[in-house]
Amino acid sequence: MPWTVIPEGEERQVKIVNSSSIDGTPIAYIVVLSAIVTALSFIPFSIVLGSGGSMPLSQGVFPLLGWLLGPIGGAIASAIGSMVGAFLAPYTAGIPIVSVLGATVSSFIAGIMIYGKGRRGSWLFLIVLFLLAFYIYGNRAIVQNGIPVNIFLAGNFIELSSFLLFILPTRRRFACWIGDSNLALVALGLFAGTWIASGLSHLCLATITYSIFNWPKEVWLALIPIIPFENLIRSLVGSAIGTGVIAGLRAISLVRSAEAIY
Amino acid sequence: MEIIAKLDKVSYIYENCQDLVLKNISLDIYKGEFLGIIGPTGAGKTTLSLVLNGIVPQFYGGRFFGYAEVAGLDTLTNPVSKLSRYVGAVFEDPETQLLATSVENEIAFTLENLCLPREEILARIARALAAVRLEGMEKKQPNELSGGQKQRLAIASALALQPALLILDEPTSQLDPVGSQEVFATVKELNRILGMTIVMVSHAAEEMAQQADRLAILEAGAISALGSPNQIYSQIEQLERASLRAPQVAKTFWAINSRGIALEKIPVTLETGLAILPSLTSYYHRPVWQDPPSINSNILLKAENLSYTHSNGTEALKNISLDICSGEYLLIIGQNGAGKTTLVKHFLKLLSPTKGSVSLKGISLENLSTSELALSIGYVAQNPDNQIFNSTVEKEVSFALTNLGYPAKEIKEKTCQSLESMGLLEARNLHPLSLSKGDRARVVIAAILSMDPEIIIFDEPTTGQDYQGAKAILEMTRQLHQMGKTVIVITHHLYLMPEYAQRVVVMGQARILLDAPIRQAYHESEILAKTYLVPPQEVLLAQELARLSGIPSPLLTSAEIAASFDL
Amino acid sequence: MYNSLWQATQKNSLISWLDFRSKLVMVIVITLIAFTWESPITSGILTILVALACLFSGIKLNYLATILKFMLPFYLFLLLTMGFFNVEQVKVLTNKSELTALLSIKGFNLTLEGILYGLSVIFKTLTMILVIPLGIFTTDLNQMIVGLTKIKVPYKIVFIFSSTLRLFPLLAQELEGIIDAQKLRGLSIEKMGLLRKARVYAAIAIPLILNAMVKSQKMEIVLQTKAFSGDNNRTYLSESKLSEIDYAFIIFFIVLLIVVLVLYVVFGVGKFWWLLK
Repeated sequence: MPWTVIPEGEERQVKIVNSSSIDGTPIAYIVVLSAIVTALSFIPFSIVLGSGGSMPLSQGVFPLLGWLLGPIGGAIASAIGSMVGAFLAPYTAGIPIVSVLGATVSSFIAGIMIYGKGRRGSWLFLIVLFLLAFYIYGNRAIVQNGIPVNIFLAGNFIELSSFLLFILPTRRRFACWIGDSNLALVALGLFAGTWIASGLSHLCLATITYSIFNWPKEVWLALIPIIPFENLIRSLVGSAIGTGVIAGLRAISLVRSAEAIY
Repeated sequence: MEIIAKLDKVSYIYENCQDLVLKNISLDIYKGEFLGIIGPTGAGKTTLSLVLNGIVPQFYGGRFFGYAEVAGLDTLTNPVSKLSRYVGAVFEDPETQLLATSVENEIAFTLENLCLPREEILARIARALAAVRLEGMEKKQPNELSGGQKQRLAIASALALQPALLILDEPTSQLDPVGSQEVFATVKELNRILGMTIVMVSHAAEEMAQQADRLAILEAGAISALGSPNQIYSQIEQLERASLRAPQVAKTFWAINSRGIALEKIPVTLETGLAILPSLTSYYHRPVWQDPPSINSNILLKAENLSYTHSNGTEALKNISLDICSGEYLLIIGQNGAGKTTLVKHFLKLLSPTKGSVSLKGISLENLSTSELALSIGYVAQNPDNQIFNSTVEKEVSFALTNLGYPAKEIKEKTCQSLESMGLLEARNLHPLSLSKGDRARVVIAAILSMDPEIIIFDEPTTGQDYQGAKAILEMTRQLHQMGKTVIVITHHLYLMPEYAQRVVVMGQARILLDAPIRQAYHESEILAKTYLVPPQEVLLAQELARLSGIPSPLLTSAEIAASFDL
Repeated sequence: MYNSLWQATQKNSLISWLDFRSKLVMVIVITLIAFTWESPITSGILTILVALACLFSGIKLNYLATILKFMLPFYLFLLLTMGFFNVEQVKVLTNKSELTALLSIKGFNLTLEGILYGLSVIFKTLTMILVIPLGIFTTDLNQMIVGLTKIKVPYKIVFIFSSTLRLFPLLAQELEGIIDAQKLRGLSIEKMGLLRKARVYAAIAIPLILNAMVKSQKMEIVLQTKAFSGDNNRTYLSESKLSEIDYAFIIFFIVLLIVVLVLYVVFGVGKFWWLLK
């Protein structure tokens, strides 16, 4: 469509100034989403018995931050947001450093999911980390504390399923769905992605919390149905929130950060 | 006069935009002047002000034509960080422009970024706070400040850079009258006493007429007029064509002039208008006005001896008794903190009384749940974006009915009706956030209408809107009123309301100071002053006419005043 | 409310005079000690000391009470499960083949040793939680920012932290507004089942996040006009200086950590069954 007026002035060369960013994500975006995490951490959702706090609403949102801001930007936003939330409402955080770590890892893993052969380093490193976590955790539970193997495996259903889905091509497939124009696929991708990111983050945390709490076998038995159910809720919440947010962001055509995958 | 900023044939188009936003703008800004930029929404005013500090185009990209220079620096070849030393900027939203956790740190922020030494920073903080009269508030947190104080802090923050030029983009549109007054007074002092060059974008016609040295009208990206406030604001017809509002004084005298009474010039400020009035009293005959027929209907909503105390001990409402009848159009006014929103939240059962009661159609609200109440009372908050939860307009409008468990067929019917009455049928499948601000407000109203409530409450619907936007929303309220709804509006913009409201409740210090028909309420200057409100200029002119002529003149609008003049 | 808590504890307690870096060392050392110790006796003493330090520093009693109130159900659960079910591990830790039963229900024994183990875990986690306000709320925020940059935390990170503190009350307010708006559209959250609750909470978070993203674009422009680059090279209004007391404080805690570790490893001080044989 032609312009209504011809410019009389000379056309100039425009040099775009880079706004301050971390890993390609503008700082302002990180600040604002970090504040969201803090605000949401005041809304308790259910009691998570495994680590001693109630599950704040923000848990459904950590992976989303990884997809909106990229792994580093998302991890920072989640870390700082949950840290401030932990200071101000420690009863929603359980053990502060644990919940902050969980948030950070969750966003990071989510953001990494799209990385393919070009950035092999990051997800390979994560796979090694997860294997190490399984070893430390499994060793303490099975060898030291005498938890039967089948109970250990059942109790780690979400961790194992997430790990499997992460190392298989499913990881990239789900991440690509999130970038799809079909909202139904976006929702599915978000659901699966949240399941994976939360499950693997849970693995890292459990390795630490278990060494503090050393839950006996009976508690494992009680937790076996609860943990997957909670992860299911987290994934549902993550999918519902994420789909709405991504639909909205596409409608208002906000400037995307370089690492965003929606 | 020394030129401090110069635009030479500046044109600009944003990335992914269809047409130029600025078209061949040439403008010289003189040192020490107060230049006002006015224009309808979408004219390019914000873009123009952002050219002066380089944000356009360095932040947005796009294509730029022509030259812009501030304090001798070209705005394209010098980075924004360098230009920020010469151009201070204050934006519309008091919240998002304050980033630090204390007043002094807010002012220090830019100076720290520019690596000024600590002693210098301390000295500049003291000077800046003195200039905006916020001394003693160094350690306060931003959330402890009022809206006016926040904007003054933003100004102080910009001042600390000792800029050559200060840009203010709609600095008072989110503020109440008190805050607005504070900001204008501060800016006036900066301009008159410190000689700061000011470029201000604002819809506040009365204040701009008072303070600006020159005004530029921006329409569709081009400057259509440039002159003194006297020259610009007296051209009523031109302003109306540009969808702009003239100061009430100017509009009134123009209307008088249109009745054949010769005037040397159209005054644009209240003082000059009041000064001319004595020479016109010979033409002033019988004041003429018409009141709408009074309503005799049953009481719909009743508050009895309602008191509310916050958990921290502040009394927000003291012994409020109020009857609202079916089919009324009620206006609630009062300073920030007077208790208006608190009162309304009691009607909606979002708060429970500490003492007293609220009842709807005789039933105490204690016996109704909030969701049941939603079917009788709808509430449109100031920011429509906080009331949009769905991804299509249709889903948004049917949201409440779905939650309340209505059968699918009825949901579809009511949704359609609602969409139609708000002119949204064609937009039904669009995402609400892709619509304009005005249309988003329409979506929220449609969503509430679908529940067919008898009462609809509008909380500050005109704040942050330009004249066109505000009128559009108020016309919607008129439409609803004509449909038989009881309408309650809370607003600061008294001058917009005489065409709509019938009754006014004035609140101050947690009490009802006055409950009277609008014609009476607007003339009770002393009572309004208790809640820091000033009657609209038209009312003040009418009061002066009454004083001069000895004839009582409870007039409200420029049309009524003009109609009382005859050759 | 929370910001006022931060402010309230600034007044004149000894600990608020210390530099943030010294307090950070304290927080890290105490957390490490709490993590290491398994004995209910040593862990309990540590918890009491930290709690007392909190009170003397001006941290409000009702804040501490709120923490306890929320943690109580979990701690009860912990005590009971450890008491009834933690048999094998406790046997190993105490070198006992039979545990002292206090109560017997349907064949399950509530053991003394199990309860003691539960207590030690409670004290451990309570210390880790309480030490945070002790270090954080007693520090002026702006000093904390400078202190963090002095220990080489990148300024961008510090900025994100301080801006989060500035912004989140606004978002929390908006959140309340959104929840109210939802109630007025017929959603009564309390009456809902878990799955519907999930959808409702999602519906709250979506407008909050979207509005925040729009705000962030405005904020970017503001940052530009304030010459913000995120560069570590900048000056500061607030000062963070280590005095002699700070150095003494830091040295004390480092020495304490070393002593505790040595006593633990060599003499078993702080091991689960210490002094309880």
